[in-house]
Amino acid sequence: MKITITRRRLLGASAATAFTTALLPRLTLGAAPLSVGSLTPNTGGGGPFGPNIAAAHKLVAEMVNGKGGVLGREIALHQENSETNPETAIRAARKLVDVNKVIGVLGTWSSSVTLGIMPLCQEANVIQMCTSSSANIPLKDKKGLVFNFMILSPVWGEAIGDLALRRGYKTYAVMALNNDFTKSMVDSFVAKVKAGGAKVLTEPFYYNGGQASYRAEVSRLIESKPEAVFIPSYVTDFTSVYKEIFRQGYEGKVITVSIATGSKFKKVVGAAADGILHGLPVPSLGSPAYKDYLKLVGLKDTGAVQHPFGTAGHDQMSVLLLAIASAGTDDVGKVRAHIHKIANPPGKTVSNVLDGFAALEAGEDINFTGASSDVDFKTPTGVLKSRDFMMWEIKDGKDVVVETIASAS
Amino acid sequence: MLSYLISMATFVGFFMILALALNLQWGMTGMVNFGIAGFYALGAYTSDLLTVEAGWPFLFGVAAAAVLGLAFGVALSFLSMRLRDDFLAIVTLGFAELVRLFALNEDWLTRGPRGLPIDVRPLSGVFGRDGYAAFYLAIVAVVVLAAFLVNERIRRSPYGRVAKAIREDDVVAEVLGKNVLRFRVQVFGIGALFMAVAGALYAHYTQNISPDHFTPVVAIFIWMSVIAGGAGNNKGLLLGAGLVMMFLEGTRFLGEFIAFLDAEKASAVRIILIGVLLILVIRFRPQGLMPEEKFKGTGEPAPEARHGKFVMQGLNRQNSKKGG
Repeated sequence: MKITITRRRLLGASAATAFTTALLPRLTLGAAPLSVGSLTPNTGGGGPFGPNIAAAHKLVAEMVNGKGGVLGREIALHQENSETNPETAIRAARKLVDVNKVIGVLGTWSSSVTLGIMPLCQEANVIQMCTSSSANIPLKDKKGLVFNFMILSPVWGEAIGDLALRRGYKTYAVMALNNDFTKSMVDSFVAKVKAGGAKVLTEPFYYNGGQASYRAEVSRLIESKPEAVFIPSYVTDFTSVYKEIFRQGYEGKVITVSIATGSKFKKVVGAAADGILHGLPVPSLGSPAYKDYLKLVGLKDTGAVQHPFGTAGHDQMSVLLLAIASAGTDDVGKVRAHIHKIANPPGKTVSNVLDGFAALEAGEDINFTGASSDVDFKTPTGVLKSRDFMMWEIKDGKDVVVETIASAS
Repeated sequence: MLSYLISMATFVGFFMILALALNLQWGMTGMVNFGIAGFYALGAYTSDLLTVEAGWPFLFGVAAAAVLGLAFGVALSFLSMRLRDDFLAIVTLGFAELVRLFALNEDWLTRGPRGLPIDVRPLSGVFGRDGYAAFYLAIVAVVVLAAFLVNERIRRSPYGRVAKAIREDDVVAEVLGKNVLRFRVQVFGIGALFMAVAGALYAHYTQNISPDHFTPVVAIFIWMSVIAGGAGNNKGLLLGAGLVMMFLEGTRFLGEFIAFLDAEKASAVRIILIGVLLILVIRFRPQGLMPEEKFKGTGEPAPEARHGKFVMQGLNRQNSKKGG
């Protein structure tokens, strides 16, 4: 029989070979490594934050591996890109769960991704650690396996509403980018200002992102001439929205969330940005864990907020590894219980994974306090108890801190 | 590992159904459909809402998705049939955005961006986790097979030959007495039906859908599958769908070999690589991995076919005269 090599066969064969060799398990020596998954938004809407989270996961894992790993096992960190898209993230999570057999998937950022991979993680009994604010996450987490390192968005709305009231604004109008994150925030903002005796003049409404112009939306928003408007959104759409607000000559106060007013926004908008009030949950800037984190990633302590999500990545990996060390096993049921044990008081306060290991070895109880927050969960759920919330006002193109509050969720 | 391969095979299955449907519409009949994600979402939301909110059984939900897909496919093609080629492409793209924005904004029905959870799955208590994955793959495989057989039957039949004639030159088909509009509407409807069924199966598989799942990127993957596999060749595009998924997911395993890059760069390299692989396929194999089979006659053409050929030749001659 004559075998001819056609282009089709060659392509097929080489593709098949590449695929199978890629799938072959790599040879490992010594105790089986402990697999941990990291699924971060390295591209797409979460692109500005994902790489920080991914790098923080890696740094903590390397630090622990440098000291011999956890329970004598090396940590094998498997990192994937969620592309901030649940459709892709599901397949990436499948790989982490089914091929790498990870104990947890850490670092998901947008709520749609966290919720999208939740059914498969719950089914496979895999821990999730995320920074997603949707109030739906705890509702759908039937097994108590999801630990959220970000406070839920209703708390954001409440904190911002509280400040607005104290500033003395009596009438408001609200519109928001239509996504899961802003929805529950708007509800809580409205409830807060109404409870404080202020009026919301028009029914809050939602707009779709990615539009060329927001003229109609902005006209509708400022039609009733409110003293202040609240517009939670992302930077991509807020820039266009703000341009329209400026063009239509609105003179009241504009209030939003800080992720919409980053340095790029200020650069594009220039002096017109002055006076915007914005807020964000922030790392505890004075905490030793935050200072440790800055050193670890090679940043200078400027006193300003840096890496609001990278710090959470650091805490996620630290908490998971400490819980495994404390449980003495990688059994998910036990690790889950020990996350509550090591993250919540009582116990010796530690802010660094290696100090935590040392304390555990000495037989002490620990209470991990992280770079992003105190990392205390509302047992038995994985909902974060509180995180510092900071409010700024833009003055001369710079963020000026108005106040910092510890917000309870 | 096995369960991973099973789940990837399931995803390939969704791609295959969508690719077969697109092949029917575009590969065979020449109708450009960029609205795949719209029909996919339509099926997913239909089946999801009917099974979860209205308590219908799984099969009824999928069947309703099929009916609705067919209805919307027929309606959309009717509306846009006088718009041809590029215009149809834009109408379908618009339709996909319409469906996505409807799902995003009609909160009372679809729960908007929060997404819908789906806990309805057929025989979910019977198998364990791994067994269930294999069972679901079997369901998807049956649908792929059905779509494949329908496509092949159409391709080999006189009906399929008319479709191809419309693709090559609808005026000729019209002149030969074929009702071009009817063929187009039917073919587009059948394709949309399969796309909606794929969406329903996807929803029950992932158990959580939100508008973010149905971005136009889905359509691009399916177009890549059909083009890489070979437009007009049903076997080829099954291969194409598998290949595209292999590019998308197989490249994840390269991460272990480029560990010196940080996660951000590694994911960028991966996406670049997917693009390069596709460019290579298109560059060296523009007709696709398995090109469309040439139509082989029985040797003795039927009288009307002979007549048709004669007419076509005549028309071609006329056209070339006009062009010259």
